[in-house]
Amino acid sequence: MSAQPPPPDDAPQEDAPATPADSGAGEDHAAAVAALHAAFDRLRPQGSDAWNFLAAFTHLGDRYGPYQPGASDLSRRMEGQDHGPSGRPGTWKQRLAHKAGLAGAGRGSVGSAGGQTELEQAMAQVVEAFRFLSARVRTLEERLACEDRPIEGAAWLVPAPELGHWVDPVAAHIVGTSPGGDVLHADCGEGHLLDALVEAGVVACGVEPRGAVALGPLERGLSVALTEIADALAGRPPASLGGLVLSGVVDRLPLHAVVSLLARARDVLMLGAPIVIVASDPDKRGPWAGTVAQEILQPRPLHAETWELLLQRAGFVSVASLDGGGAGEGDARFALSAATPT
Amino acid sequence: MSGIHQFVPVLHGGDAVGRHTLGLRDAIVARGFESRIYVDTVEAGTRTLTSPALAYPAEAHADDVVLYQFATASPMAAWLAARGETLVVNYHNITPPDLLAPWDNHLALGQLRAQAELRLLVQRAVLAVADSHYNEEHLVAAGFKETAVVPPSAALGSEILAAGRRSALPIAAAGGARWLSVGRIAPNKAIEDTIAALLVTRRQRDPSATLLIIGKAATTSYADALHRYVASLGLSNAVTFGGHARDATVAAAYARSDVLVVTSAHEGYCVPVVEAMSVGLPVVAFRQGALPEVLGEAGVLVDSRDPYTLAATIASVVHDAPLRARLAELAARRLAELDLATAADRFVSLLCGVRERRG
Repeated sequence: MSAQPPPPDDAPQEDAPATPADSGAGEDHAAAVAALHAAFDRLRPQGSDAWNFLAAFTHLGDRYGPYQPGASDLSRRMEGQDHGPSGRPGTWKQRLAHKAGLAGAGRGSVGSAGGQTELEQAMAQVVEAFRFLSARVRTLEERLACEDRPIEGAAWLVPAPELGHWVDPVAAHIVGTSPGGDVLHADCGEGHLLDALVEAGVVACGVEPRGAVALGPLERGLSVALTEIADALAGRPPASLGGLVLSGVVDRLPLHAVVSLLARARDVLMLGAPIVIVASDPDKRGPWAGTVAQEILQPRPLHAETWELLLQRAGFVSVASLDGGGAGEGDARFALSAATPT
Repeated sequence: MSGIHQFVPVLHGGDAVGRHTLGLRDAIVARGFESRIYVDTVEAGTRTLTSPALAYPAEAHADDVVLYQFATASPMAAWLAARGETLVVNYHNITPPDLLAPWDNHLALGQLRAQAELRLLVQRAVLAVADSHYNEEHLVAAGFKETAVVPPSAALGSEILAAGRRSALPIAAAGGARWLSVGRIAPNKAIEDTIAALLVTRRQRDPSATLLIIGKAATTSYADALHRYVASLGLSNAVTFGGHARDATVAAAYARSDVLVVTSAHEGYCVPVVEAMSVGLPVVAFRQGALPEVLGEAGVLVDSRDPYTLAATIASVVHDAPLRARLAELAARRLAELDLATAADRFVSLLCGVRERRG
């Protein structure tokens, strides 16, 4: 049996379809589908290039190293035979010596170790060096991942509150100060700020790491990347953003990640482009910050004074408190605005 | 005394190739032939069932028929090609390297090596047997002149499955639909597509739907990514990674589930589909690889990777009692066509034919 998309309403109805695949006509699912696929593709550790560093390195290992490192007695036996999986005549050592013109007697033809030529020995050492380097890189990557993501799904454990009353003042500030170009909001949540910006004619995109939350604005046709803001900025060219609003994520990131995020933001924002931080006031924890969130957050969230310092150190100017016009009263958050120098 | 011996790089007791190899061994012995299993890497769990490949030359007989279980790269291929015994290849498919490269270049390169090894065997093998017509096409493309198709004897035993057998009527879904995924956790299985569809299902129609994923991680980076994906989508409480499970546990999972979801981008056969059909569990699968051939009309095939389409299809299968009953009926018919109970014996008949011709 096959599942087919449902026919349009005015299409002639066939006999009872076995599996009505109601894909929810009328909603914009294409963007949501693309975002879901892209979110997973970003988790590929070795990209999509089949012949990247590790592949090239493995080729080297195959040509100049053991058949399979650390493999069986049979593979070691194969080392000494006159054929390999390539079907080419001669052992890899013989083929190498032939290619290098080193077959027979003479300098380099036979080294001291097991009849290897000097070139073979050198290449074997290169392979070992790459193998060591590869292992070291992997260790560092794993360590870094642990630092950046001490708990998987932290965005769910420390959920970003919606901007709520801050939507209008933040949107007004962005509209009034942006030099043009895309404006990014992370974590965009249900996308209310995006709605306001789009309505004002701004090209606004969201970043939201919580997939189930991101589906809402995606299905409304908004542009939302299902990822963390650091990943979203990593792929952007310098001076390409007309504005950046950070909320939610700023309460969750480790301090070292906040510092590098602001540095990256400084690079990707256009000259004179605004940045707005909407952060939780550590002295007025909101009801959203339960026990788990508070313990994961410590020593965050950061005070406004600390944000001011971080923004200045990152090279932003005109750091100021954003007037919520009373909108933020009773809200345990504050907002700071700044801009890149003109 | 000459015999019909099998070679497999490593004999895993719990995987499809391992069960198939052991099933064939029993069928060969039942016909009165001597039959040993030689491995390149000895696994602790099957040590008593195997001999090291390097022991074979001392035990070999000129009239032996050697059956090579081909599923991955191994120096065994070149080693066997260089020997003189009558060689038959049993091909279980090679996962396309480009599906593995983004996750593990070593594995991808191994698949490239396997492709080269398959070509190396073309001149030496007197017969190549695929477990599906889809796989047979690969053999023909590689240059094998004489080919045949016999399904694998790899499904869980009928006694074990019988314990989990149940009615094909829908399970009361008060607690949400229970989706099941069974198989190695490898990039070609594209389990992320199942997870994305679960997200859509929970958002749109069944907030309590859950997914149980049973299988050993074949690629650590891919398994890690699935865990991160599940966490980022907010599905940590809805998706269970069951890991490698004992046969009885797998059979119980079939019995407790509402649907088997297979979103593989590439499948050479897919034994879990056969197991699900055996217990009347409906199957929803992407139309990829050998899945249309194995399922026939007994499951629902989806043409799109769109999780909304997949979610809607699964919902229709889970909640439509007449459809489930119809699928169970078609599954029984399809299993009768596959005639898996005699598959091993049919395979041995092919080997006997080879042996007689060579004799």
